[in-house]
Amino acid sequence: MPLGMNKHGSRSTTSLPPDPTEIVRSKACSRRVKLNVGGLAHEVLWRTLDRLPRTRLGKLRDCNTHDSLMEICDDYNLEENEYFFDRHPGAFTSILNFYRTGKLHMMEEMCALSFSQELDYWGVDEIYLESCCQARYHQKKEQMNEELKREAETLREREGEEFDNTCCAEKRKKLWDLLEKPNSSVAAKILAIISIMFIVLSTIALSLNTLPELQGVDEFGQTTDNPQLAHVEAVCIAWFTMEYLLRFLSSPKKWKFFKGPLNAIDLLAILPYYVTIFLTESNKSVLQFQNVRRVVQIFRIMRILRILKLARHSTGLQSLGFTLRRSYNELGLLILFLAMGIMIFSSLVFFAEKDEDDTKFKSIPASFWWATITMTTVGYGDIYPKTLLGKIVGGLCCIAGVLVIALPIPIIVNNFSEFYKEQKRQEKAIKRREALERAKRNGSIVSMNMKDAFARSIELMDIVVEKNGESIAKKDKVQDNHLSPSKWKWTKRTLSETSSSKSFETKEQGSPEKARSSSSPQHLNVQQLEDMYNKMAKTQSQPNLNTKESSQAGKPKEELEMETLPGPMVPLLATRTDGIIDMRSMSSIDSFISCAAEFPDCGRFSHSPLTALPCKGGINVIQEQSRPQGSSARYAEINPGSESSHRSAFFIESPKSSIKASNPLKLRSLKVNFMEEDTSTLVPASNVLRTYPDPLKSRGATAAATDSSLLSDRSLMSPETSIYTTASARTPPKSPESQAAIAFNFHDAGIHKYIDADTDDEGQLMYDSSPPGNVSPKYTVANSGYLKQKDHVYRTEKNHLEAAALPTSPKLIGQNCIYSMEGITGRTQGNQETVRLENHISPEVHVLPGSGGHANTHAQSI
Amino acid sequence: YKMAGDSRFPDVDTDGSEKSEEMEIVVNVGGVRQVFYGDNLNQYPETRLAELVNCLSGGYDSIFSLCDDYDPGKREFYFDRDPDAFKCIIDVYYFGEIHMKKGICPICFKNEMEFWKVDLKFLDDCCKAHLSEKKEELEEIARRVQLILDDLGVDASESRWKRCQKYIWKFLEKPESSYPARVIAVLSFLFILISSVVMCVGTIPDLQVVDAEGNRMEHPTLDSIETACIGWFTMEYVLRLISSPNKLHFALSFMNIVDVLAILPFYVSLTLTHLGAKLMELSNVQQAVQALRIMRIARIFKLARHSSGLQTLTYALKRSFKELGLLLMYLAVGIFVFSALGYTMEQSHPETLFKSIPQSFWWAIITMTTVGYGDIYPKTTLGKLNAAISFLCGVIAIALPIHPIINNFVRYYNKQRVLETAAKHELELMELNSAEGKATGSRSELEDLSREGKDDPFYSSRIKVSHSDTFIHLLSEEKNYRTRLQSCK
Repeated sequence: MPLGMNKHGSRSTTSLPPDPTEIVRSKACSRRVKLNVGGLAHEVLWRTLDRLPRTRLGKLRDCNTHDSLMEICDDYNLEENEYFFDRHPGAFTSILNFYRTGKLHMMEEMCALSFSQELDYWGVDEIYLESCCQARYHQKKEQMNEELKREAETLREREGEEFDNTCCAEKRKKLWDLLEKPNSSVAAKILAIISIMFIVLSTIALSLNTLPELQGVDEFGQTTDNPQLAHVEAVCIAWFTMEYLLRFLSSPKKWKFFKGPLNAIDLLAILPYYVTIFLTESNKSVLQFQNVRRVVQIFRIMRILRILKLARHSTGLQSLGFTLRRSYNELGLLILFLAMGIMIFSSLVFFAEKDEDDTKFKSIPASFWWATITMTTVGYGDIYPKTLLGKIVGGLCCIAGVLVIALPIPIIVNNFSEFYKEQKRQEKAIKRREALERAKRNGSIVSMNMKDAFARSIELMDIVVEKNGESIAKKDKVQDNHLSPSKWKWTKRTLSETSSSKSFETKEQGSPEKARSSSSPQHLNVQQLEDMYNKMAKTQSQPNLNTKESSQAGKPKEELEMETLPGPMVPLLATRTDGIIDMRSMSSIDSFISCAAEFPDCGRFSHSPLTALPCKGGINVIQEQSRPQGSSARYAEINPGSESSHRSAFFIESPKSSIKASNPLKLRSLKVNFMEEDTSTLVPASNVLRTYPDPLKSRGATAAATDSSLLSDRSLMSPETSIYTTASARTPPKSPESQAAIAFNFHDAGIHKYIDADTDDEGQLMYDSSPPGNVSPKYTVANSGYLKQKDHVYRTEKNHLEAAALPTSPKLIGQNCIYSMEGITGRTQGNQETVRLENHISPEVHVLPGSGGHANTHAQSI
Repeated sequence: YKMAGDSRFPDVDTDGSEKSEEMEIVVNVGGVRQVFYGDNLNQYPETRLAELVNCLSGGYDSIFSLCDDYDPGKREFYFDRDPDAFKCIIDVYYFGEIHMKKGICPICFKNEMEFWKVDLKFLDDCCKAHLSEKKEELEEIARRVQLILDDLGVDASESRWKRCQKYIWKFLEKPESSYPARVIAVLSFLFILISSVVMCVGTIPDLQVVDAEGNRMEHPTLDSIETACIGWFTMEYVLRLISSPNKLHFALSFMNIVDVLAILPFYVSLTLTHLGAKLMELSNVQQAVQALRIMRIARIFKLARHSSGLQTLTYALKRSFKELGLLLMYLAVGIFVFSALGYTMEQSHPETLFKSIPQSFWWAIITMTTVGYGDIYPKTTLGKLNAAISFLCGVIAIALPIHPIINNFVRYYNKQRVLETAAKHELELMELNSAEGKATGSRSELEDLSREGKDDPFYSSRIKVSHSDTFIHLLSEEKNYRTRLQSCK
């Protein structure tokens, strides 16, 4: 079923929120309610929803004001008695059934993680899941968590190498790469091969040493090493020692290096040699040579450990070790089975054979050997039963041995194959990611063939990168700043923003203090964002278009924009910059989960390596904003600035955020935060609306407002915001009124001359990506001013989202992706050109004729 | 939705039911509208929809007892149920059978079918297997929950002796119930190990002593250790027997038979040495005692009590009886064939090791299981060829039937873990439901006061009453479990 929301009745077309009495009346006139979740309409009795009053749907009944309703649902239509939720429809069916029957079952094909997200959104605790589905749910969830954790760990290991704290970091990093990452360069590969050769050589020398023909005899009559082989040995040990020392010196974290199992093996491989030398040298004079000799012999045996050094160069050996560690339970079982079998059969065969003359089964412990050799089907034949009874026991023992050994092994094998597969996959993913980052650094990514990139990025969604201590450290900094409520200079900020992306750091520091020092709602939001940020130190690297979280996350920003209107003080820039990181991280984490499961088709496109999708919104915004200002004097200076900052931010920001790895465990807390945010979001919106009916006041304030808005324009040009807007742009029609209100203000202020420069393009853009039916009401809302255009963008984005949310249109998403890419390519050129470019380069995008004209007439009429 | 009944509806003229035949009802299930024709529904008069059609004339009361809402303007009946399952269930009116939509939990689907009063027999066999599998699993979970609840339950009403009995039972049988119980379990495990070791060590000739008549006897210290162990086992068994709620069931269970077998030989040999001397000759007595010593091996099986892995093994072997038979049969056939072949082929050799067919059985077993002691081996070329083939066949004969056995083992092994967590979850759910029941109960009262008439008490209380699907009759004595849960809290 397509979107059921009716254009005529849709609340978003009216600029005024309905009266509480209206809402109450609408609720009272029907016993039933229509719930539209992601396009799938459900009808349910009100009293069914009342059964779980603390859940989201349960609260819907008690909400009688517009604001509280908007907190709970994304849109509503009173005439149709329909409420829209922008969520996954598949999971909702199961959840609604929980209201109906009191039993929560899970659709079998649902991804467990995605389902748990949905449960969190609807406010249902996962504990209600029925036992029949619970096992599967938890199994999947645990498995997923474990996998993610492991991936994050390995990647963190790779990422966590920071060389910035000590001297000659550059050289040490190079050395480290050379020794530790054989794939990083040809030289490293050669070095690895030499290392392997040395290991093999030293092992061969070790075994040859024991050949009697090659051994010499010393003055005590004891055999000694062959001198040539001793030289080989010395050379090998020298190589190993050098390797170990270099590794140790170049390692970023010494203690961690020392503790690593592979490095411990290295140490064990070289230590015996030195201990032997030390012992023989120090004890030569002393007469307890015999004892020393024995100790030396033991150490010689320990030299065989060096064969384990090969593990460093072989994934297979590492996975074997890991498997054994993981399946010690099953190994114990195997040994237990064997021990019991040996015990039983050896005593049986002892009693069967003990009366035989010249028997070798002298006692039960003596027949242990026989039982072991028989059960493992080795069968040396040094002991074998001779009586009939003994032979029967022997036969049974063979069969039992085969069975008992075979049983637990498949479990171990399973563990091994899983881990091995995982390891292989990870290796590939890491390689790809490294290539990607290199490409990003070089900037070559822009000229890359986008379609190819998408095709290749399918597997990239495996990559999970963890943002290590950095994020936490940053957070700490921020917290410190909170304590010192120094006033934040607005003009300075603008400068720093336009200057370069380096200002990112300063912004980071400057913004949060504002957030703390005053108690206005947006600060609350920032606080929550920060909380979220703290909770979510990890995120997935690929941001995504069709995330719902981002739409939620966008709300606070929307609100911030509204805040600019009432007063000319503009603290929002600061708060915004901080929020962006959160937005990104959140959107990406959600995308990873929801897309992987829900929209397999879209998911693969959305995981673009370029993180290009979010940029699209940014570009649009820049176009919109800079155009009105283009006629003003500021255009020249601001626009280039914004361009450069935008670009640099794009390339610098994205890797940074990509470092954060997702932590699904934290998702739930995140969710809660979102919900809280919703509540605060609506307050300012209503404030704006209240100011709006008073035209005199707003007119009086327009001068200031214009000023502030221009300033905010500039802020919108800042790189972060541009990325940010994507998220906000997807906010479902919660803010239209407020936007409309702003638009009216600007209309009054006479800025409308900039307005319609590009409405055609906007209209086309909008029609490109949205089903035509959805568009027309939006035009009626949009009035004038650049904010109207922004509104367009906003709507375009929303339509994007809608299209993306419907799993039926993966192709559409593909188109969107492509054309947004083109947008980036064209970004460096003039704004007008960029827009044209977008339209021209994406020919597959369907352009509806007359749409531009439609928009124009509306604009002019108002 | 053009129905199958649509085409025949005007001309078919069965007597009497003309009215319901022309009847066209609109059903709205959770937002999904569906048009039905009366005759179509009346194929299965016991179903909810058919009842609805038949009682249309009965006024609003009867209608509202069947459906949740009725819109007289549109003549539309509203049901507050899952539309997805409904779409599958109405297939019964058109095709006479139901197929479950993929992805719906079978238990959930079963409940929907019960709501629509469609008999489970209409569910097609292909989907039924799925359902029964899930049902079995739930029953297993329920059994476990029951066990846990039994453990938790301490009824104050019982006599002191009973309570004491229960306490001892818990102490000995449930090592996870308390810390001392765990200590006891570990101790018992150690005793089993010690006694097994003593049994083995006692047969080493160096450690044996020679008694007055020249017979080898066990070392006296080993003997005393043995006695101590047997004492422990006996005490354990007796305590268990006394405290067990069902004596007969206890005595016949596998693990307890093993226990008896582990301690009996000691007492039998003790009585034989003391009393038997009078009844029969000394050598006979000694032989009997020797034979009884073999029985001591049984104590190793006592380990199974302490290892879930061993229990899984026995379960898997029990479940794959057929496959085990297959394995033995393959081997037996192979042994017969190859030993006969080997015997005939080796006849030509003057110093053959294959003296007879039964004697070459041993060779065949050892070869087919790839053990190969080397005490008997073929010497002629043909015999060697035969040996090679028999070795290959042996590998295959063992490998083929072993796979299902392994499968059984792995599946059961994994299932065991799943069930464990599921049982715990189930308990949590029950606790939650009982707590919720009270909460919603009080709340619904309030609501009834505030907006009376809108909520009928049936609905607001429905959530409270419904318990989880695992609730089979076993567990449904609500009071019982609730008090138990509360008492354990």
